[in-house]
Amino acid sequence: MIKNYLIFIILITLPFKVFAIIEVDITRGNLDPLPLAVSPLSIDDKSKKEFQKILKKENIGSEISIIVENNLKTSGLFDPLSKDAFLQAPDIANLKPRFEDWNLIKAQALITGKVSLVDKKLRVEFRLWDVLAAKEMMALAFTTVPNNWRRVGHIISDKVYERLTGEKGYFDTRIIYVAEEGPKTQRIKKLAIMDQDGFNNKFLTLGNELVLTPRFNPTSQMVTYLSYFRNLPRVYLLDIETGTQEVVGDFPGMTFAPRFSPDGKKIIMSFAKDGRSDIYTMDLENRIVEKITNHPSIDTSPSYSPDGKYIAFNSDRSGYQQIYVMNSDGSDVKRISFGNGLYGTPVWSPRGDLIAFTKLHKGKFYIGVMRTDGSGERLLTENYYQEAPSWSPNGRVLIFYRETKTNAKGEGFSAKLWSIDLTGYNERLVSTSTDASDPSWSSLLSN
Amino acid sequence: MILNKIFKNTLLLLAACLVLSACATKKEVATEAIKGQMQGDVYTGTDSVEYLADGVPDRVFFATNESILTTASRETLRAQAAWLRKNSSINVVLEGHADERGTREYNLALGERRANSAKDYLMTYGISSDRISVLSYGKERPVDSGSNPLAWSKNRRSVTVKAN
Amino acid sequence: MNRSLIISSVLHGALIMITAMSLPFLAKKPLDIPPIVSVELIQIAEKTNIPFAPKAKKIIEKKKKKKLKEKEKKLVSEQAPPKKEKKLISGEAPPKKVKKTQSKTVVSFDQKKEKIKNQNPEAVPLPDKKVKKIETKKETKQNPVKTVKKIETIKKKKANQSPKKADNKVKQVSEFEKKDLFDPSNIAALIDKSKVDDAEKIKKDDKITQSQDKSVLTGKLTINEEQALQAQIFTCWSIPLGLPFNPDDMLVRIKLSLKPDGAIEDMEMLDHIKMNTPGKERFRTLADSVRRAIQLCNPLNVPTTGYERWKKIIFNFNATDMLGG
Repeated sequence: MIKNYLIFIILITLPFKVFAIIEVDITRGNLDPLPLAVSPLSIDDKSKKEFQKILKKENIGSEISIIVENNLKTSGLFDPLSKDAFLQAPDIANLKPRFEDWNLIKAQALITGKVSLVDKKLRVEFRLWDVLAAKEMMALAFTTVPNNWRRVGHIISDKVYERLTGEKGYFDTRIIYVAEEGPKTQRIKKLAIMDQDGFNNKFLTLGNELVLTPRFNPTSQMVTYLSYFRNLPRVYLLDIETGTQEVVGDFPGMTFAPRFSPDGKKIIMSFAKDGRSDIYTMDLENRIVEKITNHPSIDTSPSYSPDGKYIAFNSDRSGYQQIYVMNSDGSDVKRISFGNGLYGTPVWSPRGDLIAFTKLHKGKFYIGVMRTDGSGERLLTENYYQEAPSWSPNGRVLIFYRETKTNAKGEGFSAKLWSIDLTGYNERLVSTSTDASDPSWSSLLSN
Repeated sequence: MILNKIFKNTLLLLAACLVLSACATKKEVATEAIKGQMQGDVYTGTDSVEYLADGVPDRVFFATNESILTTASRETLRAQAAWLRKNSSINVVLEGHADERGTREYNLALGERRANSAKDYLMTYGISSDRISVLSYGKERPVDSGSNPLAWSKNRRSVTVKAN
Repeated sequence: MNRSLIISSVLHGALIMITAMSLPFLAKKPLDIPPIVSVELIQIAEKTNIPFAPKAKKIIEKKKKKKLKEKEKKLVSEQAPPKKEKKLISGEAPPKKVKKTQSKTVVSFDQKKEKIKNQNPEAVPLPDKKVKKIETKKETKQNPVKTVKKIETIKKKKANQSPKKADNKVKQVSEFEKKDLFDPSNIAALIDKSKVDDAEKIKKDDKITQSQDKSVLTGKLTINEEQALQAQIFTCWSIPLGLPFNPDDMLVRIKLSLKPDGAIEDMEMLDHIKMNTPGKERFRTLADSVRRAIQLCNPLNVPTTGYERWKKIIFNFNATDMLGG
């Protein structure tokens, strides 16, 4: 009888016990870059020889893989492993990777591929493999003119980046900037454009007049910038494809600090007259000019939010340069920067959640980010002089320029482009053939 | 015993003060050379100054982030006004500049504001606004390429240039 | 026959009456204590782990004093018996700062060690040069000379040790790390209580918990066991840093079936539908990283006893803390 009773009790209580599967919470992980292997793209002998003729490159397959490797490395999120350690030949790896081999060198992901010449076109297949799961994560093929081979490398990088981080990449992009030469007191400045990794550099102006602050439109076909053509500082518009230039608007004085609206239909800029600078927009279709701010102070460096509803700008209406946000019609102006020091060059992130800025405090310049209401200020980098951040299209990296302090004789001046990601740890020099300033990052070209 | 301790402590404190003040005076001596050419942080020297005519300096200087004219600046501008009245055929461009310690775009506006405060002063002395145009270079055209307070003070300026 | 039937039905009826009318009365019965013990043990374990402890304590205080006392006793018993835990408590004695730095360095070199360990033992003909390269790299990465030396000694040791021993070490070290999570004052309080408590009763409870550990029915890990697992997985999980913060997509749940040695027999993403939903690519990325972490950590640092408890286990990977804000 007691036995029965016991069994009864056990039967009642048992289900509860069985149901309780142990759960363990994991709330931390390491922040090390993901180790991956970029195998050189395999190439057949015939195509290899053809490409040697067309592109003057010894092995286009490995050249492309180097582009991918460099891109992923500069992102700071990946750790491409040394090719010396690779055990499997590129051609076999592309067919069927021996995952144990790649696992052995600690690669968690593997990129393989194949280049060939098809109908005088460059054809690239590539695959992304999950080494630990021993399976393919992605496979894509591109066909393009051979001269576009660098872009193929960038597109592959973007695809891999997107698959592994869950976020769009930023490698198939360009940067427009001001190339600088000559002594500090007589700088010669030209507009220049290059791939995000510094290749394919091209000058867009000759350097006869001072040019400043170029910025891309959303399609990256047009650039708006400040030129001192005939000693009249005005905002200009340049079509990169055709090379045509025109003055924006007919202002009786200096216009400067131009930027496009997110739809590309307007240019927003400052117009300085009688010691005050106000913000104006000009519609590029109907040429209608609108005054947005009306204050005796200096209002400049306007930047739209990605939805076009708000404008961030800097103003010294409080007595010192600070960052303000207003509605796009100029109403409801709110100051958002309240930290110590001066704040300038607000730039709204493409994600819309942050505003990047330059801060001057106690003789140091900082690049930082804050939320759009001014909270959560985070300084990413400190230096003698740096300013003018511009966002990568995915909103993870900022490019800006940095100038060096001169010595007692006034020598040693230089200006260079630098990039830093939102973590603040991954700071890199962006190599340019000349000195450089005022960078602006394009959108993704392949979208 | 306690008194003794207090006495000792005060002595120590005094010694520390002396040591520190010695440091301070030394620094002052070092900056004295610069001070000779600066008042506050406005340049008062004549290093980069050129002359439009005898006794008519071509430029005025400003304090950091300021566009207010100093007494010396007003004197210079009055001389320029007198010279402009005498030479009524001459038009001028006022070129406003800023030092390198600011963001480019703000400095462009600041240069414009400085040149304008010079223009306003010339106008109050009877020079027609038709004869004066204003141009800002921001931080783009320093006269002194140094990275020190003295160099910066020389660069914060508005220069009157003959336009014809 | 009839008699027994009647007795049986009467007894059953009485039982139903009792359960229906006075459950609390049942709870007081000695027979029912074991299940309650197991449940409450876990609660306490979690509370010592989580900074909400004070709040939880208040709730407990609201309950009957008797129950509270029982809990304390059980808690103590939980702290006392396993050898590792004793170490832990003694380890708490030195001042906080010293302890922290120690545990940190230990963990970091241990991670490195693990990497190296994995490189060496595999008998694949990897050219000597490469191995050396990798090793020197790792050594140069480490700034303090001391830790470099430690790595060397460990390498030597490791050569003689079986992999299992190495695994044990990992476990121990991870327990050190866990101390960072602990509030030392909390532990001190626990120790005090243990002194106050009756030794006999401790022993009694001891028996109960130990028997439970082995029992098929109990279903939870001790703090140490849980944290050994956590610490191991922390090192394996490379969080995709590029991931934008979206509070809805920060939790990935994965269910594992384990072999007694901790090797993974089977894994199942509990949100696999979400993984393949268009527009949830970012969640898929996070889920991928979780899968890689589990595979990297295979076999898991499972407790040496009570296989039935953790034969099936769910990991809740939550990236909120790492990616949020």
